[in-house]
Amino acid sequence: MMNRIFDSLIAFGNAHLMQASHNKLAIIACNSKSTKFLYPSMDGTSRSYHNRPGQYDMFAKVDSDVRHGLGELILNDMTDNDSTKSDSLLGGAMARALSYIHRVQRELSLSHQLKPRVLVVSGSCDSALQYMTFMNVFFTAQKENVVIDCCMMDTDSGLLQQGCDITGGQYLHIPSVAGLLEYLLWVFLPSPSCRSKIVLPPPTKVDYRAACFCHHKLVDIGWVCSVCLSIFCKFSIMCTTCNTEFKLNRPAIVPAKSKKRARIE
Amino acid sequence: MADEDETKEYRWESGYEKTWEAIKEDDDGLLESNVADLVARAKRKRAALKDTGAIQLGMMRHLFVVVDASACMFLQDLKPTRFLCVLKLLEVFVHEFFDLNPISQLGILTTKMKRSEQITVLAGNQKKHIEALQQLKDLSCEGEPSLQNSLERAMNGLKNMPAYSSREILVLFGSLTTCDPGDIQKTIKSLKDNNIRVSIIGLAAEVRICQEIAKKTGGTYNVLIDDHHLKELILNQVQPPAVAGSMEASLVKMGFPGASPIVNDGTSDSSADHAPAYCLCHIESETSSLMGPNGYNCPQCGSRYCELPVECKQCGLTLVSAPHLARSYHHLFPIKPFIERAQVRETTHCFACAKLFVEAETNVYECENCNQIVCLDCDLFIRETLHTCPGCASDPVTAQMKTN
Repeated sequence: MMNRIFDSLIAFGNAHLMQASHNKLAIIACNSKSTKFLYPSMDGTSRSYHNRPGQYDMFAKVDSDVRHGLGELILNDMTDNDSTKSDSLLGGAMARALSYIHRVQRELSLSHQLKPRVLVVSGSCDSALQYMTFMNVFFTAQKENVVIDCCMMDTDSGLLQQGCDITGGQYLHIPSVAGLLEYLLWVFLPSPSCRSKIVLPPPTKVDYRAACFCHHKLVDIGWVCSVCLSIFCKFSIMCTTCNTEFKLNRPAIVPAKSKKRARIE
Repeated sequence: MADEDETKEYRWESGYEKTWEAIKEDDDGLLESNVADLVARAKRKRAALKDTGAIQLGMMRHLFVVVDASACMFLQDLKPTRFLCVLKLLEVFVHEFFDLNPISQLGILTTKMKRSEQITVLAGNQKKHIEALQQLKDLSCEGEPSLQNSLERAMNGLKNMPAYSSREILVLFGSLTTCDPGDIQKTIKSLKDNNIRVSIIGLAAEVRICQEIAKKTGGTYNVLIDDHHLKELILNQVQPPAVAGSMEASLVKMGFPGASPIVNDGTSDSSADHAPAYCLCHIESETSSLMGPNGYNCPQCGSRYCELPVECKQCGLTLVSAPHLARSYHHLFPIKPFIERAQVRETTHCFACAKLFVEAETNVYECENCNQIVCLDCDLFIRETLHTCPGCASDPVTAQMKTN
């Protein structure tokens, strides 16, 4: 099963490179322990890759680098018996992707502008603790005109839906993983500029309600701390994030003196 | 510039640095790498200075921009005229301001003919302000400016704003004189009493009263050198300022509209929420009153609006979406500056962008928390745009947000 997913991803990457000679590709993988650049490989060792006769050299390189990198990543995960449990480090992988895009854009001359985009293929659910990283990545992508697409297997991710909406990308939840390559080639291969001419799956209505910091429940109307902007579902005396005390907006209590005067009169 | 009054040296006392001595040619007689190095160094110094740690910032800002429209703004020392140059830069400023402070409000005033006029009221709608600025281009600049009148008018607008918001005035002053009806010291005193911070950008030369106003209210006073410097000074005002004195904190009630049609807990959105309705934001204009199923409904009173953020006209609830608040979160968790190190043979690639380190790059930068090495460009990118360290986000221990 995993093999088929990797095959589909490599085939998709090669299909993108095949579209035009100036297309570039970078593949980053992540699990709950680390993130890694699969292609271009940061190893530095030039591995000898056997290419089938007639196969374009670059495709063979992508194939061998990705498989080798994935193998190392999975082995590292299994041998490392650290007990720190964490969610998948998708935020970190996206941050590295954006830095890579920024670097490549700087290195190219002004006449050759890139139209960068990031495709996230994932099956993990949302990690509430990485919210800050995700939001920073989405706002940076919006500023740098990078389109973030998302292909979700298994579960839905509200955060990634918001990201695709903010950057103008496509979010797709795949019903069956066996057809992964077909979905990738159909929906995500065309570049954003020609997507308006193609019939694509309709955009999902994104839930922009915020989650309160105390119970992580979605709220319609919430109370926002004016100092740190954290959201609460109930009015309380103190903010738990920044420890500021709040002024209670109560009407002033009538002092006792004037009450006495009223009684006498 | 504010503290240089007492310790300024005169030019003949060698109080000015000789910047031409810093540039040296390298072996091939080229200056390029040296210049790039200097630019990068200057950028890093500026970025490092800004990072003052986690201090209280005024997130919800109410800012009045006062534009001088007196006769001296027709001078052509900034191309095409001072007035047009300032208006163009203000359009960029408005865009960046609402980008970075989505729940803030802005108002525009002009001052000419010894009076001040209000161009736009305090509002959070970006398009209205940009349209108003574009219409201002035809305004004729004449007469004398009046600093006191414009400050008083701005103060009247800001007085009624809630106490937890940061009240500011930005004055773009091009004249060397001002024509005031009363004692400006009284105005300064009431500005201070109302916790209003005034920042002034001078377009001509340094004027003493502006220096005093800025100092007493806790703002900044700068005089521009050229138009690039003016752009930099104006864009510096986009960042939320540190809280001056004590700001009363309180919990603000806000609404988050835009629920999905089928909510997970069983209750579904009533069909009334998506029925076509007139939106309240365009209902007053005769020409464009939009109607349609798209839009956001106020959770408290049900009125429809086209865009967020907006203050509901019916019930007064501020409507925002979660990303608007999240945009300001990066100020609360700033990244510590990276440590500069000499290049080591073991780390061949930059962690963030996978660039191979060449011999020419002498310094690499290391994050204190995760000990990953990045190159200079990534350091600037992380500090200015990304606001998260990729190394910390890729480490299972440091990736988890430090919440209660």
